[in-house]
Amino acid sequence: MIAAVQRAIASDFFYQFRRDPVAVGSTLVLLVFVSLAVLAPLIATQNPYDPIQIDIMDSELPPVWQQGGDARFVFGTDPQGRDMWSTILYGTGVSLIIGIFAVMLQAVLGVTLGLMSGYIGGRLDSFLMRIADIQLSFSTLMVAIIVLAVFQAAFSAQLYADLAIIMLVLVIGIAEWPQYARTVRANVLAEKEKEYVDAARVIGLSRLRIMFRHILPNTLTPILVISTVQVANAIVAEAALSFLGLGMPVNQPSLGSLIRNGFDYILSGQWWITVIPSIVLIILILAINLLGDWLRDALNPKLYKET
Amino acid sequence: MPLLEVRDLEVEFPMRAGRLKALRGVGFSLDGGERLGIVGESGAGKSMAAYAILNLITEPGRISAGEISFDGTRLDTLDDEEMRHIRGNRIAMIFQDPMMTLNPVLTVGTQMVECLHAHRKMPEAEARALAIAKLREVAIPSPEQRFDAYPHELSGGLRQRVVIAIALLLDPAIIIADEPTTALDVTIQAEIMGLMIELCDNHRVGLILITHDLAVVSDVTQRMLVMYAGRVVEAGPTADVIDTPAHPYTIGLLHALPQKNEPGGMLNQIPGNMPSLAEVPTGCAFHPRCAHADARCKSELPQLRMVKERRVACHHAEALT
Repeated sequence: MIAAVQRAIASDFFYQFRRDPVAVGSTLVLLVFVSLAVLAPLIATQNPYDPIQIDIMDSELPPVWQQGGDARFVFGTDPQGRDMWSTILYGTGVSLIIGIFAVMLQAVLGVTLGLMSGYIGGRLDSFLMRIADIQLSFSTLMVAIIVLAVFQAAFSAQLYADLAIIMLVLVIGIAEWPQYARTVRANVLAEKEKEYVDAARVIGLSRLRIMFRHILPNTLTPILVISTVQVANAIVAEAALSFLGLGMPVNQPSLGSLIRNGFDYILSGQWWITVIPSIVLIILILAINLLGDWLRDALNPKLYKET
Repeated sequence: MPLLEVRDLEVEFPMRAGRLKALRGVGFSLDGGERLGIVGESGAGKSMAAYAILNLITEPGRISAGEISFDGTRLDTLDDEEMRHIRGNRIAMIFQDPMMTLNPVLTVGTQMVECLHAHRKMPEAEARALAIAKLREVAIPSPEQRFDAYPHELSGGLRQRVVIAIALLLDPAIIIADEPTTALDVTIQAEIMGLMIELCDNHRVGLILITHDLAVVSDVTQRMLVMYAGRVVEAGPTADVIDTPAHPYTIGLLHALPQKNEPGGMLNQIPGNMPSLAEVPTGCAFHPRCAHADARCKSELPQLRMVKERRVACHHAEALT
């Protein structure tokens, strides 16, 4: 264990990482966001899910640095009287959870189908790739809107509120699997021509073993790179859906539903309800994307930049 | 009955231009512990014959005629799962480039243990011990440490030893080696070849050595086949074929060896190229490149027949020896 850590620190990858301020910076920002979200129950001044702690008399207070601000509410409060700071902490957590789980679902689906498509080939390949093509020809958001709207109409509001996170993960996860499947398939097609695959067949390994044990680890690099970008995309997709009122309900806010929530008040002067969660969302997405960019450059030796 | 017998083997690839035959009636046999060499230029069908034995011809190619029997079973009719039990277990294969045949992301040990587990149920510790014993047998220094090494941490020679150790892991009856030393430098080549001969003798393993290196064939094998354009053109005891070749193609190959020349002189070569599969000449496929060709060679396909201890497919074989 210690040896593995030492080896990681000594590696070329880590050396490149340390020398790149953008990479270090975006990782730090991301770590701060993740730890704030994880520690939300401890550091938030208020639990936004608990109606007893919320006082409607505190509603629409501006941030402390503005006139009329209240020291208890650093970033002000929203129309329900919830503390923005606490709500953003919880909301970031909800957004990150949806982003990460949706991408895990995409990855499991996309990698499995991509591997099978690339390695087995033939009719299965044509079949899966045509499905992917069809799915890519619809916009992800459009599919998600239709599915979520039907779901919302078909079930009671209470059931929807309980299942919102799971539904968002499913919808965003299933809508984006072709991204993975195509990348993995392309890499598998290149890898399966290599002799180590013949050698694995020659020693009598089963197809499944060759696919998952031999080819998959050799395609991990692109999977890792698209995963970071996909997490950012999933968080944005969730925010967009929530903004349209099809995402997280108001009483379990994500960053997107916070932004939507405040949008009704922006013209009447309560800008902070929308702007502060928007800034948080932008910084979060920017950090993930910058890290993804750096990862792509660092893991691709053909792209060595002159520095 | 021989351990492995290949009879009238044909492999064809359906293409837009028609069916291309990569192998056209190839036949040979191998006894237990015997060493057989298959030589020929690139594209002659040497590797295809090896892949066909293990039923590993890439789609859309397929075995269209002939039979392959191994130890009493027909290999060409086995289904995938039954074939999987033969591969690596009873018949192992070694490829040309050890840089390419080991998976770069798995340790040597993982790859060996995986091969054992694919064919036999055995506890992890036992598999590890057996793998280390095989690494020791192929003369890899400090095998316990190499067991946990990644392929990129080993030199080319060591890697090919690892590949040989994997081939020997399950004590196969036959090892097919497809140009096993071509990617290695000359001093290592001799070492690896020596090791393979020794191991095959010790374990009574039959060896099919596919190569274009006539020197290696004459050092290592007891019998040899010469292939041209998907057919066997000459086959017999290695010493006879090398000393008194009877087919003009074999003669040409032997003549083309650099050491036969005066220093500084031009290298002898066989004029022309191996025909592509789509346009194999009529009659004897070698006739456009052959100095002895006559009208009969252009129209009539020579059959293999016995001439002086070996089988030759040439109308003029008697005259040439």
